[in-house]
Amino acid sequence: MDVRLIEQTCKQTPLYDVCVSILKSDSRSSKADVTGLALIMVDVLKAKATGTTNYIKTLLRGNLKGDVRRGLSSCADLYNTVLEADIPVAIEALQKGDPKFAEQAANDAGIEARSCESSFSGHSPLTESNKSVQDVSSVAAAIVR
Amino acid sequence: MAISSAWLVFCFLLLRHAVVELEASHHVYRNLQVSSSPSEHQPYRTSYHFQPPQNWINDPNGPMIYRGLYHLFYQYNPKGAVWGNIVWAHSTSTDLVNWTPHEPAIYPSQQSDINGCWSGSTTILPWGTPVILYTGIDPQDQQVQNLAIPKNLSDPYLREWVKSPKNPLMAPTSANQINASSFRDPTSAWLGPDGTWRVIIGSKRHTRGLAILYRSKDFIRWVKSQHPLHSAKDTGMWECPDFFPVLVNSELGVDTSIMGPDVKHVLKVSLDNTKHEYYTIGTYNLGKDNYVPDKGQVDSDSGLRYDYGKYYASKTFFDSAKNRRILLGWINESSSVNDDIKKGWSGVQAIPRILWLDTSGKQLVQWPIREIEKLRGHEVHLPKQVLEGGSALEVSGVTAVQADVEVSFGISELEKAEVLNPSWTNPQELCSKKGASVKGGLGPFGLLVLASKGLQEYTAVFFRIFKGHNKYVVLMCSDQSRSSLNNNNDKTNYGAFLDVDPSREKVSLRSLIDHSIVESFGGKGKACITARVYPTLAIDDKAHLHVFNNGTENVQFTLSAWSMKKARLDLESKL
Repeated sequence: MDVRLIEQTCKQTPLYDVCVSILKSDSRSSKADVTGLALIMVDVLKAKATGTTNYIKTLLRGNLKGDVRRGLSSCADLYNTVLEADIPVAIEALQKGDPKFAEQAANDAGIEARSCESSFSGHSPLTESNKSVQDVSSVAAAIVR
Repeated sequence: MAISSAWLVFCFLLLRHAVVELEASHHVYRNLQVSSSPSEHQPYRTSYHFQPPQNWINDPNGPMIYRGLYHLFYQYNPKGAVWGNIVWAHSTSTDLVNWTPHEPAIYPSQQSDINGCWSGSTTILPWGTPVILYTGIDPQDQQVQNLAIPKNLSDPYLREWVKSPKNPLMAPTSANQINASSFRDPTSAWLGPDGTWRVIIGSKRHTRGLAILYRSKDFIRWVKSQHPLHSAKDTGMWECPDFFPVLVNSELGVDTSIMGPDVKHVLKVSLDNTKHEYYTIGTYNLGKDNYVPDKGQVDSDSGLRYDYGKYYASKTFFDSAKNRRILLGWINESSSVNDDIKKGWSGVQAIPRILWLDTSGKQLVQWPIREIEKLRGHEVHLPKQVLEGGSALEVSGVTAVQADVEVSFGISELEKAEVLNPSWTNPQELCSKKGASVKGGLGPFGLLVLASKGLQEYTAVFFRIFKGHNKYVVLMCSDQSRSSLNNNNDKTNYGAFLDVDPSREKVSLRSLIDHSIVESFGGKGKACITARVYPTLAIDDKAHLHVFNNGTENVQFTLSAWSMKKARLDLESKL
């Protein structure tokens, strides 16, 4: 594992600790160049978005107040965009070598997560998930840059 | 200008026998699960800017004029509102305003472009035949350069194109050490007096952006030059390079191959890192085959830009019908991807601009093509009057969402200008800190566009005048911070210093407003700023237009505003 590459790369992101802990615990980073590290981070972003989507589905099965249900439905739609648009665009852009599209897609994932958080007028059941997605999104966007 | 006869024969054969593999269209579509049909209410679609009926677009490609007809190709995703499945979509026009759409001209069909048909340019060969060089993505996801020529030159629409069986003509190898994921966007080629074609392709080595130079006698066999045409350290990847001559002391354009004492050259690059473009003006040295920017030109992201707002992947071409150099550019969305998918589209093309060298020789000037003015409808004229400090005047009688506005300001009390702090060197930061609501001495004064009735939403395009060292400094801003109540939008402010002397001339502003785009031109085109905005209230017939002055001092102004008619983007082809 090229620890130095990971540390150097993570230093250029806004959340060094988040970045390092994710990359060091992922076995794929041992053989990765910077583009490879970016792809790993995008994959982690995908996993977090998938996890949040599943959690939303679970919550929606329960007995909920109108405004919470509405917020969760908005979030389901927003996370669908992350999974169906942002992640595939980021992966393709990194693989084919047009990083600006990957950066914008990774960044957008954070925007959708933030928008989800604002969908709740009262208490949000997704605060931790949304924050986690926003964090990974900002790290992924920075690595791509 | 010597042209080898062998080459002539070769090209003739190529065209006559159409010797290429036109494989069955093998479209590589990704199954993109985006939401169902787009919204019916489309308050953000533009009325006189070029955009297809739906889906994602990016770079303008291969623009040209052929037999009196303008051609625009552009990166397009036929399957969705995000980047992917990219093909070259194609439209033609007689006036660069109203367009006839055609089927995509270039799409994956060979090994050398099976994973993507990315950007490229047209070169008009000496006898008038256009050829296209473009970047293809090969099966190993490497960036390579390919050639395509018209299948049928007697089709004035040039709807079908065939590809050379020799593609790729230029590719990264271990010998040439070209970075396979940083090798794209071939320019229009230029022909030297030695009968050799030259073309540049954007690239980088580590963090140094470079324009790789290739040469050819026959447009098929290309040999990489030892040195790049030009490079600059720490600028990162150079995308969409553009290299062309401009006449000294004339607004007319010239053919891309012109050289000599009456011209300077311009090198423009788009920077992947910052999403800004910049250009320098300098000298092309034919002997050394290199380009050297003039002294004083800033060769980095801090350099001169065509546009200080949202504007990217620009490309010029020589319009031989009217002897002008025309600039096209891609304006992407400032909205979230979720919003783009809901509305079903993303990206517009800028209004074509003519481009020429300023009399100072130190910068380029642009202005929207005159043809756009035929869309001007009802005019409202406000004759010369005073606009007191702290006041605004509504401009009624035009469709505020779809208008062309020209305003010119005169200032008498220049001594009242605030002093410019010498550390204020970044105009974008200055405009962010001092938006339209921050009072000043001389300024902010300008236009409030796409404004809601109660001014909860507005986009402000304005000037501030400062006293600098030995001269006055004019700052031009486009303030999007209050443009929309929807916080998912990117509402960054943009700014530029405008090289105009307010003690000797009026400070002028023209804004082309079109629902979700505002293209502003300061000082008759010396500084341009394009912005994308998505008001939630100031839409359709609920938008307002004002001229305002939030400074303490009075200004005088005259203003003309026109409602703009809709352009036709769906004209039928006549065949």
